[in-house]
Amino acid sequence: MKPLTFTLKKLAPSKVDCRRLTPDKLEGLSIKQILEITLNNTFKVIDLFDIIGEDFEQIVFRNSSPQLAYIGHEMSRGSITIEADCGDFLGANMRGGHIICHGNAGDRVGDQMRRGLILIDGNAGDYCGSRMLAGTIGVHGQVGNYTGFGMKRGTILLTKPTNLHATLQDCGAHNLPFLKLLLNAIKPLKSKFSALNSIRVQRYGGDIACSGTGEILVLQ
Amino acid sequence: MLLNGIHIDDTFAEAFNMRGTRVIITAQNHKWAYHAANAMTGFATSVIGCGVEAGIERELSADETPDGRPGVNVLMFAMGSKVLMQQLETRMGQCILTCPTAAAFAGIDSEDQINLGKHLRYFGDGYQTSKLLNGIRYWRIPVMDGEFLVQETTGMVRAIGGGNFLILATSQASALHAAETAIVAMKQVPNVIMPFPGGVVRSGSKVGSKYPSMFASTNDAFCPTLKGLVNTELSDDIESVMEIVIDGLSFDDIAISMKVGIEAICALNKISGEKSGVKRISAGNYGGKLGPHHFKLHEILGGKST
Repeated sequence: MKPLTFTLKKLAPSKVDCRRLTPDKLEGLSIKQILEITLNNTFKVIDLFDIIGEDFEQIVFRNSSPQLAYIGHEMSRGSITIEADCGDFLGANMRGGHIICHGNAGDRVGDQMRRGLILIDGNAGDYCGSRMLAGTIGVHGQVGNYTGFGMKRGTILLTKPTNLHATLQDCGAHNLPFLKLLLNAIKPLKSKFSALNSIRVQRYGGDIACSGTGEILVLQ
Repeated sequence: MLLNGIHIDDTFAEAFNMRGTRVIITAQNHKWAYHAANAMTGFATSVIGCGVEAGIERELSADETPDGRPGVNVLMFAMGSKVLMQQLETRMGQCILTCPTAAAFAGIDSEDQINLGKHLRYFGDGYQTSKLLNGIRYWRIPVMDGEFLVQETTGMVRAIGGGNFLILATSQASALHAAETAIVAMKQVPNVIMPFPGGVVRSGSKVGSKYPSMFASTNDAFCPTLKGLVNTELSDDIESVMEIVIDGLSFDDIAISMKVGIEAICALNKISGEKSGVKRISAGNYGGKLGPHHFKLHEILGGKST
């Protein structure tokens, strides 16, 4: 079965809310019904996307753009692959499954996510992992400001050092055996993270402004 | 039946149903994986006094373990699931949590899952964190050497305990040498452990005692120093008897290990024409009334003399 693929036909005049395009929400619908889904008040799927494929558990966004917001919102299973850039709130309120973004993502990646995995090959915007409850976010490129703002639990895995705000506290450099398990688990997912094998990280804990025990791990 | 001049008794070992589990212990190197596993499987020779029977099944190379570090497989058996669960958690807490660099993972799949790190996590006092990877939950517990990594549960399966055979020899040294030879060979067999010290037990027991408070006492019929006093099982030339007890995941696993062990002893008689001192191989049973599994020596060994 081929993944259900949404190919963006043209740039929209404003942001596009993609929260209804997840394996959970598309379950049981026909292609015709999907084409009639209203995204924002003004657009339907048919206005912006071509659709092919029949595997609703694997969704692909092709020719994507930073206008596409809320991709993977509240998803609990399956996978979403974004072949280029995407917009804000990627994987917000996510509850399971995984999202791979091969381009850059906007602000508030994984906002309030509870479970699941988000891997971004490019950069992420501000407030990456904000108010995260648990789960894992990996950003291979740069992150913006206020990464992990208000995070309670969960892991944000970075490959490059970044400036963090004061309530994420440096816990030092460590070899973490669990990282081997994590990297093994994400190796088959075909992202830039598949090539990583270091288990040595600088560990930052927080966000202590909300008694958080989350962590930001910067690979060394 | 004779194998290389050693008499194999026409008898059987009588074994019981048990519950078993396997845990993978890893550490920075094999030395520390063994420290952890030896502690965990210490004082676990017999369910009578130890609750569980446990042992190290085999060594694992770094590419065989979940976290890519050297490790060992531990097998643990108990008469019931409740005791197995209690003993596993106690031994995990006192022996694996405490051992530098050690980590623990499930070593066997089963619908029945028992706690490995599920309750140990509270040692983390709120700083414990979990990760769900490919449907498996792991716990990371901050400890003074770094992080203790442990899988939440492991599998529990139906198993068999009490497979055994007896080595009857002309001297204590001969009996022990034969037993050691058998253990070396039997350690190559998967899915079994020999839980007694060095894999060998010298205090075989019979049911009952002259003292009312004791349920079991020394197996006088096989005690060489009582040959003239009791209804002995030993001929004049036998001066020492040792037993190897085997617990395993299935009947076939135990049968194979018994075969491998007995054949290794009988092969001693072949080496450079030396005599092993072993005269007879027998097995322990209770007349077949107590245990549902009977390991008949002649059947296991193919029934043909050589």
